[in-house]
Amino acid sequence: MKELVKSMKFFHMYLKQYKLQFFFIIVSIVVATYLQVKAPQYIGDAIQELVNYLGKLNASGGKIDDMSTFVHIILLLILFYVLSSIATFIQSMLMTQVTGKATNRMRIGLFSKLEKLTIRFFDSHNDGEILSRFTSDLDNISNTLNQALIQVMSNVALMIGVLIMMFRANAQLAWVTIASVPFAIIIATVIIQKAAKYVDLQQDSIGELNGYMDEKISGQKIIITNGLEEETVAGFLGHNEAVKKATYKGQVYSGLLFPVMQGMSLVNTAIVIFFGGWFALNGSLDRSVALGLIVMFVQYSQQFYMPLTQISSQYSMLQLAVTGARRLMDVFDETEEPDAVGGSTFKGISEEVLLDHVSFSYNEGTPILKDVSIQVKKGEMVALVGPTGSGKTTVMNLLNRFYDVDKGNISFDGTDIRHLTLASLREHVGIVLQDSVLFSGTIRDNIAFGKPEATMDEVMAAAKQAHIHDFIMELEQQYETEVSDENNIFSTGQKQLISIARTIITNPSLLILDEATSNVDTVTESKIQKAMDNVISGRTSFVIAHRLKTILNADRIVVLKNGEVIESGSHADLLDEDGFYAELYRSQFVFE
Amino acid sequence: MGILIQHLKKYKKEAFFSIFLVVIMVASQLWQPKLLQNVLEAILNDDSEKMQQTGIYLIGIAAIGLIAGILNTITAAKVAQGASADIRESAFRKIQTFSFSNIEKFSAGNLVVRLTNDITQVQNLVMLSLQSLIRIPILFIGSFILALMTIPKLWWIIIVLVVLVFLIVKFTFGSMGKHFGIIQKLLDRVNGLAKENLLGIRVVKSFVQEENEEKRFSAVSDDLTKHTITVGTLFSIMIPSFMFVANMATVAAIYFAGTMVKADPAVIGAIASFMNYLMQIMMSIIIGGMLMMMSSRAFISLGRLQEIMSTEPDITYDENAPMVDLPGSVEFKHVTFTYPGDEVPTLKDISFKIEPGEMIGIVGATGAGKSTLAQLIPRLYDPTEGEVLVGEIDLKKMNKKNLRESVALVLQRAILFSGTIADNLKQGKKDATQTDMERATGIAQAKEFIEKRAEIFDAPVAERSSNYSGGQKQRLSISRGVIGDPKVLILDDSTSALDANSEKLVKEALNKELNDTTTIIIAQKISSVVKADRILVLDDGHLVNVGDHRTLLKESPVYQEIYETQKGKEA
Repeated sequence: MKELVKSMKFFHMYLKQYKLQFFFIIVSIVVATYLQVKAPQYIGDAIQELVNYLGKLNASGGKIDDMSTFVHIILLLILFYVLSSIATFIQSMLMTQVTGKATNRMRIGLFSKLEKLTIRFFDSHNDGEILSRFTSDLDNISNTLNQALIQVMSNVALMIGVLIMMFRANAQLAWVTIASVPFAIIIATVIIQKAAKYVDLQQDSIGELNGYMDEKISGQKIIITNGLEEETVAGFLGHNEAVKKATYKGQVYSGLLFPVMQGMSLVNTAIVIFFGGWFALNGSLDRSVALGLIVMFVQYSQQFYMPLTQISSQYSMLQLAVTGARRLMDVFDETEEPDAVGGSTFKGISEEVLLDHVSFSYNEGTPILKDVSIQVKKGEMVALVGPTGSGKTTVMNLLNRFYDVDKGNISFDGTDIRHLTLASLREHVGIVLQDSVLFSGTIRDNIAFGKPEATMDEVMAAAKQAHIHDFIMELEQQYETEVSDENNIFSTGQKQLISIARTIITNPSLLILDEATSNVDTVTESKIQKAMDNVISGRTSFVIAHRLKTILNADRIVVLKNGEVIESGSHADLLDEDGFYAELYRSQFVFE
Repeated sequence: MGILIQHLKKYKKEAFFSIFLVVIMVASQLWQPKLLQNVLEAILNDDSEKMQQTGIYLIGIAAIGLIAGILNTITAAKVAQGASADIRESAFRKIQTFSFSNIEKFSAGNLVVRLTNDITQVQNLVMLSLQSLIRIPILFIGSFILALMTIPKLWWIIIVLVVLVFLIVKFTFGSMGKHFGIIQKLLDRVNGLAKENLLGIRVVKSFVQEENEEKRFSAVSDDLTKHTITVGTLFSIMIPSFMFVANMATVAAIYFAGTMVKADPAVIGAIASFMNYLMQIMMSIIIGGMLMMMSSRAFISLGRLQEIMSTEPDITYDENAPMVDLPGSVEFKHVTFTYPGDEVPTLKDISFKIEPGEMIGIVGATGAGKSTLAQLIPRLYDPTEGEVLVGEIDLKKMNKKNLRESVALVLQRAILFSGTIADNLKQGKKDATQTDMERATGIAQAKEFIEKRAEIFDAPVAERSSNYSGGQKQRLSISRGVIGDPKVLILDDSTSALDANSEKLVKEALNKELNDTTTIIIAQKISSVVKADRILVLDDGHLVNVGDHRTLLKESPVYQEIYETQKGKEA
């Protein structure tokens, strides 16, 4: 129920501005339905008129040959069908437009919302899970709006219309026609529920099979080198059998709805014809009237069963849309990144960066940083080292306000960074991350990512400083080469050089290098090192390092372990201390 | 298509029964208007007895149609499930005969998709065919003939109806076609943008590019919307057009039948059933068109499955070769190797010989060909030129079991399968005893953390082995490699996640316990191979130097460069 309320809120938010369109949609549904249910009556009339005509013709011995009433009805029918086609066209066209535009706004709305969310949200949600909101959830919503909504609305209208028409035409036959409806509804409900249950089971078993195959085929190297093929097939057979059993029931029940409803419609039509004929011959109906009535009711009986089938088959689709809307609403309800209200604009570091007794935890109860204090003067290079999980990367997250400190504070030139506007802070803090990311677009776009207005000269200057210019010039389309994160124009090391160029061009006043070379070998590392030295020189910088080679020349090295600063000083000082750092150093290098 | 027919054979009886039921269903559906006509005629003639008799027929036949429909669904599902499960099984069996490069050609993820989504498509196709696809032509031809028989003079209305419906389908689908392609591309682009923004959210935020990214995204999304609305509008024209054409045909039928009444009064009774047949004809064309669209997807899937079945494993073993107790020597004779699809060879004319019991290091920059070289020894790939010999025998002349029991490869990215620790260890030696497991985990320094678990060797390994750390996974993976006492053990950077001390202990244990085993260690860190008997230095696919650490320092510029970047300086 809560889900329904939430999704209604969502639909209201995105659909309220189309009130006018919906008004016309409903009007044209009513018109189209009216015409659709009225038409069989006219067809019945036409046939009745033919019988009358024939009667008069025979009675008068061929003298009264007047078909004008019949022709009149035919003309009316044509008019009806023209109008009903127009009305159907209008409702469907308007709905297409509303759906298209609303879905577009939902998609863009979702994207903008994501751009505003906190890093905590992204760190605590799986990418695939978020992406599925763009794909399956939006798809379900759009399909439902486009098809299911109109179908359900017009089918309900149709059922009501047919009911009214039937009872006005002949109550007795009308009762006969709808007598079986309760059974049909009960049967449809049972089938749908069973289908839902077995389809769930089916999804579970397919999921398991999928997991099994994915694990095995992804690990095929192990299977081949250990000769495990037979065992793997044996394990597969069990899963395959389970899927077969579960899917069989799912498919029987979900395949049953249509033939059952159609079969029932057939039976019902037969009953209507039988009783119509019976009433006609047992005196309660005039014969010419009866003939028209039966033809009319045959159509009504079919028209009445069709919407029943449709509504029941749309039910699961509606449910998917409600779930989809709820899932989108969940994202919209997330809190956005807080900006400093009335904060001052940061213009670059002029004196120092200070971490003052900073404590932080991602999850309450598991502290990551405990009372950490680091002071960096302008132009200094500070290296953060320590084992995995020591909290090195967290410092980067805090300096850029991806997260905010729990206790203590971080200040630039004495101003708490929470009092600086977020945009100005990040514009002056440059980051090179461990995993370099390329965005789809040209190489130029990627280098000028943080400064789209940069000139070609600036882009090339940055690439030269990052030692990637020569490589780019060797490519056929040079700076206009299209790249994306997936294609392999660049090696890992080269991708990292592009992201260094991307940082250089923005000329940051504070620089953070977060394990920028941990994914490459030591020879490549020493090449990247030259590019990094170019960026670091003259800037205040934090260098987070897993391998020590890159930070031997740091002004100061801070060793973190379990969230605490355990050692601090220059390389020489720390070697003298012969503590954790010295041991780390000795294990990473070769000594003769 | 072949693959489907082949697997349907087993379900011939069920399939024919199911088709037979469809025929009954259609017959009952087509008979109804005919009986309706009889009823109407009986009323006109005041023939009460005939009316009742026909009425009972009507109901009886409809009921039979209903039952046939239900039975048809059940048998159709049975055939669909049986055949698709069988296809999946034979495809999976086929995959298990594949060489690694066969699998890489498809990619693992792609194979899984083929075995799930594509099979589902095929399964739906079978279901659909047995339920509806066969019904449509019967329904179409049946209604066509019956309509003609009912009022033969109005044959032209049927033809006009059919032609018009086809024209509408052709026009609308023709104009939609090109939009579908564009829509698919734009959808991919929208998802791509969303995906790369999720991946690079830290970059976007740290460069304050949220607004620009929103603009980029909106532009694509707007474009997508434009095309979806165009397609939707075409649909909005198509559906009412169908209805209009069909309705006009009905009206025309009534009118022209009306003009015939004078000469042939019985035609009145026929009008209703004629109309009914017209509707059936139109519906069968529309539904038929939709089914064709749906099944075209399934045919693509069938093609993709067929591709798996017709792929021949590119590595086969000489199963007639006798089992031999191989010495642990490894020899490369002028080996050149090019990955399928690549133009430049990854290994170029490499020759060397490793004696039994030697400890060999392999170093070189990323992309120099170290892992490729290692993977030729357990025959994950065959060399493009030259030969690889283990124990003096060419790998191509060795039977599979002999090779598997002689060579063990431990990968850098440790792959464990879900199950228990013991399950994973036994993959290295099927009949491993408790003692074997203790010894192997002891060598790999895995014993201490395993023994901390209450279940010890029965401790569970979760999917993607997410319940173990990188170092623990590597240690388990090494245990699996050593448990079978291989003649040749290859460690492909498989101690990278271990701390310096554990790495040292593993090396010492290997030396002591597997002294006779030839060990090949591939490493990024020179410190891992300093103590090797000999070190092979690879550079851009060439074997540039061989020698021990001291020799190489003097003679190998490539080795020197690597060493320089890892050399410590005592302050």
